[in-house]
Amino acid sequence: MFPGVDGFHWTVQHVVFLSLFFCVLATIGATVIVAWVRAARQQNPESVRWHSEFEDLPARDRKCRQVLRGDMKARTCPNGFDCGQCHEFRPAADKAMGSTYGLVYPENRLYHRGHTWVEPQADGTALVGLDDFARRVMGVPESVELPAVGTRLTRNGAAWKVRQGGTVVRILAPLDGEVVAVGDAGSEWVLRVKAEKLETTHLLRGAEVSGWLRDELERLQILLTPAGATPTLADGGVLVEDLHRALPEANWDAVLSELTLQA
Amino acid sequence: MERCAPSRFVLWTAAWAAVLAFGVYSSYLCLARGLNQTNMDNRFAFGLWIFVDLSIIALGAGAFFTGFLLYILKWRDLKAVINSAVVIGFICYSGAVTALLIDVGQPLRAWFTFWHPNTHSMLTEVTFCISCYLLVLALEYIPLVLKNRRLRQHASVVVFGFELHKVMAVMAGVGTFLSFFHQGSLGGLYGVLRGHPFAFREGFGIWPTTFFLFILSAMAVGPSFLILVTAAVQAISGRKLVKAGVFDTLAKTSGVLLSVYVLAKAVDTLVWLNSTSRAAGFLPWEYYTWKPFGEWILFAELALCGFLPAALLVSRRARSHRPVLLVAAALACCGVILNRFVLTIQTLALPTLPFDEFLTYWPSWQETGTFLGVIAYGVLVYSFSFRFLNLFPQERELKVAPEEVEYVSGR
Repeated sequence: MFPGVDGFHWTVQHVVFLSLFFCVLATIGATVIVAWVRAARQQNPESVRWHSEFEDLPARDRKCRQVLRGDMKARTCPNGFDCGQCHEFRPAADKAMGSTYGLVYPENRLYHRGHTWVEPQADGTALVGLDDFARRVMGVPESVELPAVGTRLTRNGAAWKVRQGGTVVRILAPLDGEVVAVGDAGSEWVLRVKAEKLETTHLLRGAEVSGWLRDELERLQILLTPAGATPTLADGGVLVEDLHRALPEANWDAVLSELTLQA
Repeated sequence: MERCAPSRFVLWTAAWAAVLAFGVYSSYLCLARGLNQTNMDNRFAFGLWIFVDLSIIALGAGAFFTGFLLYILKWRDLKAVINSAVVIGFICYSGAVTALLIDVGQPLRAWFTFWHPNTHSMLTEVTFCISCYLLVLALEYIPLVLKNRRLRQHASVVVFGFELHKVMAVMAGVGTFLSFFHQGSLGGLYGVLRGHPFAFREGFGIWPTTFFLFILSAMAVGPSFLILVTAAVQAISGRKLVKAGVFDTLAKTSGVLLSVYVLAKAVDTLVWLNSTSRAAGFLPWEYYTWKPFGEWILFAELALCGFLPAALLVSRRARSHRPVLLVAAALACCGVILNRFVLTIQTLALPTLPFDEFLTYWPSWQETGTFLGVIAYGVLVYSFSFRFLNLFPQERELKVAPEEVEYVSGR
């Protein structure tokens, strides 16, 4: 093919053909290299992970919070639940929380869709914990891996990890900040976080929580329905404590991942 | 997502692994003892393998065409099947390359075609394009693998997959460019096959009409094959994987392109019957006196497996009935497969010179075994991909919300 091989001589066809071929190879190679370099330079992998996982969420799991509180009929969130960036976002007029379906959801807390809560403190820090829904579903975990004091949390990145029944679940951080303290086994809160500027626009409150919980309970029942069975939606009951122990045969890997907004 | 019990999956894969093992053994015999293990010879150089290669390359065109429609034309509906299309494309092209490596007899010398390229041969371009396109398909497959739940535990894996996915439009464009040329060049062969007037075609410059017909038929049948595979996976797994609207989009696209193809093919056939073949000294109906290749094959290719499925797929009322849709898609695929059969097996069987005889060909068991091995390889790769990767993004949505609720996007 190249000079030096017996009988070879360049023709116009050789030049055109090989030029096209090497252009294509170069395009493919350059594309992969650009992707690799961008990935290596990425300063905030947790933020990228969230964007990637958010894109994979089904439309139903990306309902706008204004749909949850009944202000809109149908809308999917295009902003990764970052309501601070949304031109359509309007704060709720009605602050009162409606029914929480027998679950404990104090009104002074703000709630993240990954089932964590935030309670701002007077000293400028915020307490972070797992909400009652997730606590009842997961039950007592086999182990919990907490971040060290001083760890920087990225909103929607991994805050802490819970191991339950062989499944490792990443609990998403509801806010940006630095971990200044971790809770002990008896405390309701898991992390105390200090943020430069406490941004909570994206967290649910008031009537939104009720609509969201109704959706989550419905979603949980459908997730626990065996494949091929007709989905049934039980009405009027309260979510039991330690559902994980009550239904050992369920696909908890899938259920816990779905509920904590992971693919 | 939930999948069947591991024991059932092991049984399923074990059965196909046995077929694959038989295929590997058959291939080994062909490589170790030579191509005399096959029923091909110097006269009948295209057999089962080339026919299968042409067919699966046409069927695998759904990968490039779906990618083109999604990433270039922004048909967002097709996001529901693009992952599956990429896997199907990867299987089809890697299977075709494997069969080709056995077919050349000395695969260790396959690099000759790159190092000593014959720039006067359409097949050189086919080799280069298929090699590059297989690379593109592998690169499109990687983000799917990187999204496996276990691998996603590592943020760096997620980030690389995310960045690779951002450049998919470039890959789709390159894939479309490569596919356009290699699909066409496979048909371009018939512009130089003057020794077989049954298949020889003229055209425009160096491009015979079969160059364009091959591209058109591949684009037409790719979506139909995707419909069939998706429906089969839904039936076998017992899960709803895509919304009905996706089937409709694929069917409509396939129907329109198939209609154009059938029209072009009909015109081409008329020109061949009345001009090209006569100029070579053959009355066209002479070819169809050689049984079993009678006029029925022309009728089957154009009418039964061309015009009929095109009409069904184009008709909204017809394609809204799932059984009709599947039958139409299957007929469309059969039509293109039949076309490839006619242009390989039938072409070589027919005599051309006065002392030629009508040749019969049946693949040997070693050829059949190799072919079955490629099929088993495809089924196994797809099965593992379906079990461990997220091939159908709408599956989660359809499990949680079985009724199709249209959410208005904020974008």
